[in-house]
Amino acid sequence: MKWLGAFLLLCTTTWIGFEWSKKLSDRPKHIRQLINALQILEAEIVYSQLPLQEAFEVIGRQLPKPANLLFAQVAVALQSNTANLTEIWSASVNQWVKLANLDKNEQEILLQFGATLGQHDAVQQTKHIQLALHHLEREMQEARDQHIKYAKLAKSLGVLGGLFIIVLLF
Amino acid sequence: MLADATILFQIAGIGIIVALIHTILKQMGKEEIAQFATLVGFIIVLVIVVNGLSDLFQQIKSVFLFQG
Repeated sequence: MKWLGAFLLLCTTTWIGFEWSKKLSDRPKHIRQLINALQILEAEIVYSQLPLQEAFEVIGRQLPKPANLLFAQVAVALQSNTANLTEIWSASVNQWVKLANLDKNEQEILLQFGATLGQHDAVQQTKHIQLALHHLEREMQEARDQHIKYAKLAKSLGVLGGLFIIVLLF
Repeated sequence: MLADATILFQIAGIGIIVALIHTILKQMGKEEIAQFATLVGFIIVLVIVVNGLSDLFQQIKSVFLFQG
């Protein structure tokens, strides 16, 4: 019975450590997806000259899992809702950030970017996209550094913390 | 006698694990947290040892001073 309890405790803390490490490794991936999304958006605006709603639909179809939800949701909301784009965008971003592993910084970048969406002509819009891309690149670099630094630490701390508690309670 | 052996192994285990945690945290450049972890481990071991010592003094008192 004692051994079973110890085993369960060790499993739990190890799992917590791995979950923490996964969170750290997911953040750069999700920022990378956002960067891809903005690049596709830029291409759609400059070359295909699609309206924003159709561009969002294209992005929603093309991207992998967490990032596409944001754009698909905005596209759907644009079809049914009569509120202006900035409001729809910020509501969707605020909802979506909880789903993906992103920080306040990325949320702020996305919100600021959303405030410029649909306000300018194509040339100005590409400049704003470039600005947002630049900010996201910086965030991704930082997230990557953190991942390299802390991912292994999180895993080992989970296992060792579990062992520590077990020895303490033995 | 068996309980004494357990307490020795427990303290040894705590020492090893705290040393590992200290090494890992230090490697990742978190010196302050490493120091703090070592301090916490030390305090825990200190509490265990003081408990054992208090038992010992109770035993001595009950042997030499004829008290419960």
